[in-house]
Amino acid sequence: MKTILSAIALFAAIPVGAAMADSDDCNVSSSNWQSREAVTRMASEKGWTVHELKVDDGCYELEGRDRGGRRIEVAIHPATLQVMDVEYEDDDDRGNARNAAPAGTVAPPKNGLFGNGAPPKVQQN
Amino acid sequence: MKTILAALALSTALVLPGLALARPVTLTTTLNNYGGNGAYLAFYVSDASGAYMGSLWMAGGKSKYYGHLTDWHRVTAGDLSQINGITGASVGAGRRLEITLDLADALFDAGYTLHIDAAVEDMRESPNEVAVPLTTDGAGNSVRGRRYIADFNYSM
Repeated sequence: MKTILSAIALFAAIPVGAAMADSDDCNVSSSNWQSREAVTRMASEKGWTVHELKVDDGCYELEGRDRGGRRIEVAIHPATLQVMDVEYEDDDDRGNARNAAPAGTVAPPKNGLFGNGAPPKVQQN
Repeated sequence: MKTILAALALSTALVLPGLALARPVTLTTTLNNYGGNGAYLAFYVSDASGAYMGSLWMAGGKSKYYGHLTDWHRVTAGDLSQINGITGASVGAGRRLEITLDLADALFDAGYTLHIDAAVEDMRESPNEVAVPLTTDGAGNSVRGRRYIADFNYSM
């Protein structure tokens, strides 16, 4: 029974993943777009502060803060104003769990390209 | 004591040349004034058959953007262990990035190619922005990228 439930759960999860994969692009003709005011009104109802509202990959992209003050980047469907994706900007800054180790903190990878593991020297002008 | 030191010095001198199969190589990348946010750049190497060998540098620290470095991401599946210890800041428009790496001698004159993928927020992705063969003769030669890189060269 558990196996069957697991299988159902797995199949149920697949469409969610597929929907997320598609969430980067909106494909809506310009006549069906809701106004920027409608977006900011929706955001205000959610308690969001809007810093910037722009268009990215055919979707509205809102940058601002949520009710709790966290920095957010939200993809919004331009016709339905459905929230398609919310990214919390501090997710990537909290520790390095999801980012690569910066140069100098660990040795370069042992991929055969590097010599003795000396740390890179970097300069940006 | 002196004998031991002398023996040590001699053995070190004999052994080190064998280990000195690497040299410092400086990769210099100058971006043009494309008028956007900082560029993410992935530097990586393929062999003569085009197979991915490894990464040399990642300019840009947030992994959520790596998918826009499309060729690099395709061959690495975004594996962060490929770029641990060789990741730094993104590069601003018009800025110059100089990275000095200790690279294996075997990388040069052996059919390897250095690739750079580039991506800028809200602008077009540019996989394989630069592709240059790694040769000792090619050191110092300037190459122009397809979209964001005004000039790239490596020197040793």
